[in-house]
Amino acid sequence: MKLMKAVGNGKRGWSLVILGVMAALLLLPVVVALAPATSLAADEAPAQVQKGKDVYFKTEGIVSGPPAPQTTAKDYPSYDLPYPLSESRVIVWTIAQQHLYFGSFVLAVPIFCMIIELVGIMSKDRTVGKRYDDLAHDFVRISLTAYSVTAILGGLLLFTFITLYPVFFTYLTSLFKPFMHIYALLFLAESGTLYIYYYGWDRMNDGGFLKWIHATLGILLNVFGSTLMMLANSWSSFMMSPAGVDEKGQYLGNLVHLLHNALWNPLNVHRIIGNMVFGGGIVVAYAAYKFLSAKTEQEKAYYDWMGYIAMFLAVASLIPLPFAGYWLMREVYAYRQQMGITLMGGLLAWLFIIQAVLIGALFFTVNYYLFNGMGRMRGSEPYRKYIKYILFLTTAAFLVWLTPHTLVMRAAELKAIGGQQHPVIGNFGVMSAKNGAVNTMLMTTIISFILYQRSNKIIAVPWAAWGNAAMIGMFAVALVNNWWLAIMGYFIPANIRVGLSVPQVVGTLTCLFVGLAINTAMMRGAKLTGPIEWGKISVRSQYGLFALGVSFTWLMALMGYIRSSVRLFWHAMEVFRDNSPWAFTHAIGFAANVMSFNVLIFWIFTLFVFWLGEFSSHKTVPSMVDERQPVGLGRPVVAGGSK
Amino acid sequence: MGKIWIPGMMPIELLLILATTFFVFVGVGWLLKTQNRSIPKFGQAILIWLTAFVILKFVLYPPIPSALMKTYMGLITLVLFLLVSADEESWTDFKRPILKTLAGETPGYRGVRTITLVALPLLAGMGTYNNIVPKFEEPIELRTVHPAPPAAVKVHDLKGGDKTFTLQTAQNPFRVDEDGQYSRDVQQKHVNDNPFDPNASKYMQYVREGGAIFFQNCHFCHGDNLDGRGMFAFAFNPIPANFSDPGTIAQLQETFVFWRVSKGGPGLPREGFPWASAMPPWEQHLTTDEMWKAILFEYWHTGFYPRTWD
Repeated sequence: MKLMKAVGNGKRGWSLVILGVMAALLLLPVVVALAPATSLAADEAPAQVQKGKDVYFKTEGIVSGPPAPQTTAKDYPSYDLPYPLSESRVIVWTIAQQHLYFGSFVLAVPIFCMIIELVGIMSKDRTVGKRYDDLAHDFVRISLTAYSVTAILGGLLLFTFITLYPVFFTYLTSLFKPFMHIYALLFLAESGTLYIYYYGWDRMNDGGFLKWIHATLGILLNVFGSTLMMLANSWSSFMMSPAGVDEKGQYLGNLVHLLHNALWNPLNVHRIIGNMVFGGGIVVAYAAYKFLSAKTEQEKAYYDWMGYIAMFLAVASLIPLPFAGYWLMREVYAYRQQMGITLMGGLLAWLFIIQAVLIGALFFTVNYYLFNGMGRMRGSEPYRKYIKYILFLTTAAFLVWLTPHTLVMRAAELKAIGGQQHPVIGNFGVMSAKNGAVNTMLMTTIISFILYQRSNKIIAVPWAAWGNAAMIGMFAVALVNNWWLAIMGYFIPANIRVGLSVPQVVGTLTCLFVGLAINTAMMRGAKLTGPIEWGKISVRSQYGLFALGVSFTWLMALMGYIRSSVRLFWHAMEVFRDNSPWAFTHAIGFAANVMSFNVLIFWIFTLFVFWLGEFSSHKTVPSMVDERQPVGLGRPVVAGGSK
Repeated sequence: MGKIWIPGMMPIELLLILATTFFVFVGVGWLLKTQNRSIPKFGQAILIWLTAFVILKFVLYPPIPSALMKTYMGLITLVLFLLVSADEESWTDFKRPILKTLAGETPGYRGVRTITLVALPLLAGMGTYNNIVPKFEEPIELRTVHPAPPAAVKVHDLKGGDKTFTLQTAQNPFRVDEDGQYSRDVQQKHVNDNPFDPNASKYMQYVREGGAIFFQNCHFCHGDNLDGRGMFAFAFNPIPANFSDPGTIAQLQETFVFWRVSKGGPGLPREGFPWASAMPPWEQHLTTDEMWKAILFEYWHTGFYPRTWD
C-alpha cells in the first residue's frame, strides 16, 4: 500500500523498478540453461567418465545421471479402494486434469485481461474505454480465486506423484530438478505480479503513464505465465519424445537438449493458443450464466455484451488452433510413425472422431450465435437469407469432417460394403479431405461474422460495389482453391500433400484478414439502421454460448487423454517402460466417462469460483447505453428500451 | 442405385447430389414464395429431413453402416434446429403448429394431440424394447485398421536370421536410380514406363520382379487390380486391404508396409486385439529382397507414393 501511495504521488521510478525486477526474473531459465551442466545437474562427479549417445539429437555426452529404473508392480503403490480408484493412474489422471484446467484458466484469463485493458486504453470513447476496463478488472478478480485453486491442485498433484508414482517421479526430478526450481520461483514472481496488477488497478488508473505501466505489468504477467507453462510442457513432451538422455535413460548433461525435445515447441504453441480459446470459453460461459440469471435489463445488456466480446476473442484464437494442432500432429508423425498411427489411424483414432464432432459443434455454435445476434440489430433482415447457404456449406463440410475412414459396423454391414472402407464416403476419411473441410468451415464462419458486422449498417462508401465484388471474388477463389487442393491431395506423394495445407491455410487467413479489413473499411461512415440492442438476444443463443464453454473443456479432456495415452506402456517413450499393473490403454467408453467426470467436476469448481467472485463485491454493472447513437433513432440500446 | 456411382468420382458425386438437392429446395421455395404459397417452416424441416434420409439411405450405395447413418441423421436434425431457430420470426413460425397442436381446441387439433401423445410414449417404449431385447446379430465392431507398428522389426528371426529394420529410418533398397542410390523421385520419373521394356531402368526392372512376386503370392487375395478383391477375397471378413484406396498404403511409410507384409496377421501388436487378419507372415515364405520388391510394385502399380517426411 505504501508503495502504491508512493507511485500515486508521482514516483514513477518505483513502478519502473518493479517492472525491471519482474522482467529480470524472466532471465532465470536462460541463466540456468547456460550454466555449467555439472554444477546444477550432476549429483556428484562421476568416478569414471562414461559416454552415451543422445536418443534424439544423436550427440555424444557424458553420462551424468542414473539410468531409467526397471520397475516392477511393487513400485506402484495404490489405495485399497474399489475400482477404478484402486488404479493409481485414474487418481493421477483426475487430479492432473483439474490442475491443468485451472492452470489454463489462470493463464488464459490474464491474456484476456491484457487484451481488453489495452482495448480500453486505446478506445477513443472514454465511456466505452471505462466499460472495457471494468470488464478486464472483473476478470482478474475471478482469476484470483482460480489462482489459489490452481496452486492447491498443483500441490495435490505433486503429492499424488510422490506417493503413487514414487520411482517414476524420482527419475523425472533427477533430470528436471533445475527447471523445477525455476518453475517454483517463476510461480512466486507471477503471484507477485498478479497481486500488484489486481490491487493496483484503481490506483494506477490515472489514464496516463501509470496506466501504461499497469498494462505492461499485465503483459509481464502473461509472459511469466507462458514461461511457466512452457517449462511444465517440457516434462510432458519429454515423456512423449525424450531427448538429452541416452537409450538407457541416463542424463547426458545438456539441459537445453532435455528441454528442447522434438515435441516441445509444437506443444507450446498448441497449448498457448488452446489456453486462449479455453479462457474465452470460460468467460463466455460465465457471461451466458449471468445473462440467463440476470434480474434487470441493464444486467442482461451488460452480460450479453460480455458474452459477445469473450466469444469474439475465443473464436479469434480458435481460428489458428487447427493449424497449430496440425503442426503438432505432423511433428508427432515425423518423430515416430508408430505414435502418429496409434493416434490417427489406430487405437486412439476413434477418439479423434469424437474430437471432430466437438470441433464441428464449436463452429455450428459460433455461427448460430452470430445468426441470433443479428436479431438484436434492426436492419439485419436482408442478410438473414444467407443463413441457409452458410449452414448448408458448413453442414456439407462437417459431414466430410466427421466421416471416419474406418467405419464402426457390424460384421454383416462390413460384408455388404465389401471391405473396411466405404467406396464413397470412405474417401472422406483421409487428411486431404479433412483439410478441405475444416478450411471451408472456417471460411463460412468468417462470412457469418462479416454479415454480422454489416447487420445494422447501410454502406455509404462510393466504392461499395467494388468492395463487394472483391470480397466475393476472394472468397470464391479461396474456396475453389481449397476444394481443388483437397482433391489434388489424393493424387500426389504424401510429403507434397502435407505441404498443400499451406496454400489452403493462406487462402483462409487471407479471407480472414483481408476480408475483415475490406469489410471494416466499407463500414466507414455507414448509416446505422439502428443501434445494437444489447440484451435483446434469444435465450437459445446463451445456451449455445454455455455449450461452447463446455465443449472447450470436453475437447481439452479428450485431447489431453489422447496426447498422454499415445505413449501406451511407456512412461518416457522407448526409454522408461511403465510396468504398473494398469499399463494398458483403457477402453474408449471408460476413458470417455472419466473425461466427462473431469469436465463435470471442473464446472462445479468453476461455478464455485464464479460465486466467490460475486460474493466479494456487488458492483452495479456498467450501463450499455451508447452515447454515440445517432440522434433521431429515439431508442435506448438497453434491452426492453425499445418497448 | 448402385449404377449412378462412377469409380473415382464417387465422393464428389455425393457432394454434388447434396448440393443439387439443396438448390432445388431453395429454387422451389423461392417459386412458392413468389406465389404466396410458402410451405410452413415445420413442414419444410420435415421435408428436408426426409429427403436427406432418402439420399443417405437409398441413393448412397453400398449402404452405409447404421452407426454412421445415426450420426449423419443426428447432424441433419441438429442443423435443421439451428436453421429454424436462427431468428425469432422463423422460430415462431416453426413452433406455431406444435403449439397449436398442444393447445388447439378444435376437434382436429384434439385428434392430432391425442394421437401424438399416445404415439410418442409408444415409440419411446418401442425404442427401449428394441434396444434391450437380446439379438442374434453380431455386435458393432470397433476394429482398428491401422495397427501401430513397433519401432524396429527383426525379420526372419524364426529362420535364424537377425536382420533388424528401424521403421523410422529404413528405406526400400530397390527404390533406386540408375546409380543404385536411393531416390524418392524415381517412381514419379518412371510412372508411365513399361516394366517389360528390355531397356527398362533399374527401378523398372525391380518393379517387374516385384510384380512377378505379387502375382505369384499376393494377388489371390489382394486382386490383380490391387483392390482387395482377389479370387479368395470374399472368403474373408473383412476382405483384404484395398491398395488402390487412398487410405491404405498411400497413407503409410514404406517400412510400415514392410512390417505388415513380413509379420502378417500373427505379428500384429496386442493392444488392439482381435485383429481379424488372415495375412500370413511372409517372412516365412519370401526373402527380405522379395518382400521389398513386391512393395515397390504395389506403389508403382497403384500410383500412390509412400509417406515420407522432410
